[in-house]
Amino acid sequence: MSIEVQYRNRAKELLSNGEVKLVVGYTGGTTPERRRPVFISSAEQVDRLVLDDLCIANLSGYLVTESLLSDEKSVAVFLRPEGIRSINILAAENQLNPDQIVIFGFEPAGNTIKALDGTNALEFSEFVVSLSENPSVSDSDPVIEKLEKMSAQERFSFWQDEFSKCIKCYACRQACPMCYCRRCIVDCNQPQWINTSPHTLGNFEWNIIRAFHLAGRCVECGNCDRACPVNIPLRLINRRMAVEARESFDHFAGLSMTQEPVLASFKKDDSETFIL
Amino acid sequence: MPKILSADKLDNCIERWKSSGNTVIGPVRKSNISAYRPVEKASEFELDIVLPDLSIKELFFPQTEPILKYAIRKQAIDTTEFLPPSGKRIVFGARPCDASGVAIDDPLFGWDYRDEYWFQRRNETVIVSIACVKADDFCMCTSLNLAPDSTMGSDILLRPINGGKGWLVEEITDRGRDAFASIADLLQESTESPVPPAAVPEKFNLEACVEWLKNPENFESRFWKEISVRCIGCASCTYLCPTCHCFDIQDEGDTYSGIRRKNWDSCSFALFTMHTSGHNPRSTQSARWRQRIMHKFNYFPGKFSLNKCSGCGRCSRQCPVDMGITETLQEISKLLP
Repeated sequence: MSIEVQYRNRAKELLSNGEVKLVVGYTGGTTPERRRPVFISSAEQVDRLVLDDLCIANLSGYLVTESLLSDEKSVAVFLRPEGIRSINILAAENQLNPDQIVIFGFEPAGNTIKALDGTNALEFSEFVVSLSENPSVSDSDPVIEKLEKMSAQERFSFWQDEFSKCIKCYACRQACPMCYCRRCIVDCNQPQWINTSPHTLGNFEWNIIRAFHLAGRCVECGNCDRACPVNIPLRLINRRMAVEARESFDHFAGLSMTQEPVLASFKKDDSETFIL
Repeated sequence: MPKILSADKLDNCIERWKSSGNTVIGPVRKSNISAYRPVEKASEFELDIVLPDLSIKELFFPQTEPILKYAIRKQAIDTTEFLPPSGKRIVFGARPCDASGVAIDDPLFGWDYRDEYWFQRRNETVIVSIACVKADDFCMCTSLNLAPDSTMGSDILLRPINGGKGWLVEEITDRGRDAFASIADLLQESTESPVPPAAVPEKFNLEACVEWLKNPENFESRFWKEISVRCIGCASCTYLCPTCHCFDIQDEGDTYSGIRRKNWDSCSFALFTMHTSGHNPRSTQSARWRQRIMHKFNYFPGKFSLNKCSGCGRCSRQCPVDMGITETLQEISKLLP
């Protein structure tokens, strides 16, 4: 039985017996290669669910929008490994109760996908630890290598070029499961802390502040990078921050539901190389 | 006899137009994004695409522009207005949906207040469009009573001839005629027939959808919630749209001096309608998406007798969650008796 059929059956069962009120998954999109998020709330609709290697988006962000979980009912969600890590962070940051989340886990396997065992985030603990031991963070990305070899000045102009394209549509923020703030700092306008204009200064302020806010919290699902309509390679910034958090603080974002935030906690043996 | 502009004469045209004080602009790919940008020579153009990622809108209505400088003193406030920048421009290779997008916004910017920032740029710009010979799954101009070779908003329409060696010239406005008079000697007479425009299938019945939108009973329909449940509330669709025109006024500076800017704004954002009291009349994403559709196909046509959409399809093409105007109007079509 394909994983798609298996998960449709499971969704049908959970919806029929009332264990979940909703299944957040994927369905076909405008073109054959597109997949779009879908919200299934009745057993009759489960055949709309599609699951294959083209299902890439991290859907965990939907769990924390518009008070979805405030009625304490459970919701099922299709998640890749990065999405499971997102659930850990959202739970660690008290944004959701993990007991309300039923996970339909899957991971890429060559040109196809395979199911992950488990339904509650806790059951994936060992799996997530194994991810942290073999981080998929590949340091062989040619653009990253190119960037690492640049002088600070060259790197600055690379990002200046990239950020000059930013149109401040905030698709990166809206697509990100970690950008759940009720009111983002750029939307605080009494006073206006951050320039909202998409000029050089405003674009640097926005993208750098977002990078800092995601340091040690980003699971590199790539939602922001794919959402950006002007193709700013946002993954490169987040990749760098993940490497930094790992090398400096041995921190792997989303390792567990009790993980402390890397920039808001300290250990006695933290490296202090930044103190002159 | 019809005239053609041969592709190998394009550099001469650019040179000629530049020497008479024009900036020549066209689709250019830079840093992995295509947009209308100034060029020095024809090889910089990227014309063999369905359409640029960014619309033509920013040439007339930039993402951000300073409109005023102010300084507050004890007894007075000094202000200096920034005038719209002046300069003749020729946009070569615009897509008909982009050109018509600009024309759709003309009545809006000249309605109760004449926006000189818009009109000065409009009056100084010649739009030379190229009829589309290819389209993708998202193109929908034909559903908006337009076409891949619409002339709306264009000063010149070029129709590609076989083999990509040039374009058949169709003069639309006096402004276009003047711009092409300066290159008359570079054009050739020809009997060649143009490549037929791209076939763009009709995706929805607009008139029927508009009737549904106009029915007050449908304003509170559950449809709005269902169609927009996956909308993440970014401004990608509105900022890429050639006709979305909303802007915000921002003062940047300290208490005593600063610059007032006009910045793009979007009805997709919760902050767009947030009152000072904290009340938000469009408190949910579905209310915001409904507003966008209603504005384009109900309110705007009611006021200006024009659909506020030229069918470029960028909203659906670039949407992070594969939503867009096409899907919404197609789903409305399914609700019709």
